[in-house]
Amino acid sequence: MAKREPSINTENFTAVQLMELDSCSRCGECVDWCPTYDASGKNPGLAPRDKILRWREYMNKSYGLRAKLFGPKEIPEEEIEQFKNDVYGCTTCGMCATVCESAINTVELWESMRANLVKRGNGPYGKQGAFLKLIGEYKNPYMADNKDRTNWFPSDIKIEDKAEVLYFGGCTAELRQRKLALATARVLNKLGIKFTMLGEDEICCGSALIRTGQYYINDIAKINAQKNIDNIKAKGAKIVLYACAGCYRASKIDWPRLTGKELPFKVVHITEFLQDLIEQDKIKWEKSINKKVTYHDPCHLGRHVGVFEPPRAVLEAIPGIEFIEMERIEENQRCCGAGGGVKAGIPDLALGVASTRVEDALATSADILSSACPFCKRNLSDGRDAIGAKELEVEDVIVLTAEAMGIDLSDTPAE
Amino acid sequence: MAMEYFAGVTDALRLTFVQVMIMANLSIGIFIIGMYINIKKWGMGSTGYGQAPSKSILAFPKMLMYQMSEHAHVHNQSVLETFILDILFQRRILRRSPLRWFMHFTIFVGWMVLFVMSLMMFLVEMIHMVGEKAGIHSFPEFMNPEIFREILSVPNDIFSYILLVGIIIAIYRRLFVAKTREATIAYDSVLLIGLTVITISGFVADGIRTGRFWGFEMPIEWAPPMALFHVIISLLFCIAYIPFSKYIHMIAIPLALLANKGGE
Ligand code: HEM
Ligand code: SF4
Ligand code: SF4
Repeated sequence: MAKREPSINTENFTAVQLMELDSCSRCGECVDWCPTYDASGKNPGLAPRDKILRWREYMNKSYGLRAKLFGPKEIPEEEIEQFKNDVYGCTTCGMCATVCESAINTVELWESMRANLVKRGNGPYGKQGAFLKLIGEYKNPYMADNKDRTNWFPSDIKIEDKAEVLYFGGCTAELRQRKLALATARVLNKLGIKFTMLGEDEICCGSALIRTGQYYINDIAKINAQKNIDNIKAKGAKIVLYACAGCYRASKIDWPRLTGKELPFKVVHITEFLQDLIEQDKIKWEKSINKKVTYHDPCHLGRHVGVFEPPRAVLEAIPGIEFIEMERIEENQRCCGAGGGVKAGIPDLALGVASTRVEDALATSADILSSACPFCKRNLSDGRDAIGAKELEVEDVIVLTAEAMGIDLSDTPAE
Repeated sequence: MAMEYFAGVTDALRLTFVQVMIMANLSIGIFIIGMYINIKKWGMGSTGYGQAPSKSILAFPKMLMYQMSEHAHVHNQSVLETFILDILFQRRILRRSPLRWFMHFTIFVGWMVLFVMSLMMFLVEMIHMVGEKAGIHSFPEFMNPEIFREILSVPNDIFSYILLVGIIIAIYRRLFVAKTREATIAYDSVLLIGLTVITISGFVADGIRTGRFWGFEMPIEWAPPMALFHVIISLLFCIAYIPFSKYIHMIAIPLALLANKGGE
């Protein structure tokens, strides 16, 4: 009799990741800190520890001692389907990795589990399945004409054909949160920094595909990353600026990994760039913002890459701002709830997490909850509306910067 | 905890020594097979992100070396720092909870030191046996098993109690802290129960032999079987069982710490 095939396989896991499943000491720290587990009303399936346990058991049933001796043990299909649902109930915020006593790189593990389950035919989750087609067809996940990325810029915006500095706008800011893209462009113009953009040649950074486990299908994320890199090079750029945490993380960490090469340019977040200029005293502030401002660290900028200080330095430099911190900040920050495909896949869960984060901000009695990512802004605004905290303004650091530099953004067109 | 003493006693106990030797080799054999299966299982993964599974026994060491040499984005600490602060000192536990760190550190130090001392005692016994057979009598005095056991007896007591303190805290947590109790599964409790049985049996074997508190006034003839029981379950549980249980964490966590340069 032929031996039964194992119910799962190890596609998309690295050998170290499979070892990490055996490293979990079940201390439970990750469970205490996970924002989606919390917002789901403590649904046990979402607990990070539990996801590790289940996949470890799948591995042992399929490849452990008993499987070696008596053949693999079958895992019911419903169980795997349930597991898939649970592993997509995660914003890839990385909080579990920060607190893990065993130093497990959990985010990569969730992404590998997702990729594995996509390949197996279970993933992705709900609407996320459309990303691939949309990005393949439209080069952005919003079904927008790719020409619309920058053709809406008012005529005062000066974008060079070629320059040392390139602003990678990203789908969300160029197509949905246009105030942010406009603010970035006008701030650069006003500072006299010659910059270029990719315009209609820009392709989605791949974050949505990578985070939801769909990056390897037709190699699309890799091909797109390479095209973006080539196009950026053709523009003569040495420094690429980002005002979106998702694109920033994807470019800095995922592009080199996908293409297997170091990037031929420097990846810089706009707040890092501004901090540098502030230190050289090159920014002239024209207005003061007399408000209490708190700052939410985007997961993909903060915990994932370690950029904590620059956005704070920018806020503190703006005249009039009284800067106050929320309780959970920097590496202990609480996620806004949008990432990892949750906003598209499980909007209610995203909203639940956002509401909790807005409450964190309200507890500081801040007037403005700022962030440095269009995705955070969108979801935190939704969270604010959900709990009816009308008095709280949600705004991006770059928009506040523009305001304080006396830049008018009232002519921002709708999407 | 009882050190084991086979030399220089009776013929009956020499027989025990053979049994222990067999058990020791068996335990090490099971450990090696278990680790082979684990490394093979880990090797079902790939040697790079997004690459196909390699299914080679070398996949794990290769990927580990690759990750250790790669530049990390957030923390890029040295192997030495990881080894001392994260593996030996276990600061990631300390950061999360000083009490749990104290619990674990006492278990860790107690276990490690007793393990090493048991190993040393075993080697001294071996050298003595072989020496006797070969007619060599010129070993330094402390290499005499009787004397060596005396030398170890105080540190042995100290570290046994250190271990016991940690175990008591761990048991308390698992029984009386609601959140921990509810999350406890067999994977967790088996480890703790096994460790408790070993520690207590060690104390009892030693207590019977010396006639102190832990002997509970049991007859002295019970000392050798109790010692034998202690040694055998220690071997089975603390060596052979590692690859198949939560014990694997003492190998896998240091490896994860190294691979991830101390973690996020
Ligand atoms: C070499 C490094 C080791 C590391 C980094 C490590 C790490 C850990 C961690 C993070 C936990 C979870 C603690 C918690 O619940 O907060 C744990 C639990 C445990 N470790 Fe270790 N460990 C190591 C070695 C050992 C050794 C040598 C032993 C010896 C027996 C041991 C015995 C235990 C026990 C019994 C528990 C469970 C405690 C309980 O049930 O609550 N560990 N370990
Ligand atoms: S990455 Fe964030 S959301 Fe996902 S399991 Fe970890 S803590 Fe929870
Ligand atoms: S924090 Fe890490 S070691 Fe602790 S339960 Fe979670 S995954 Fe396991």
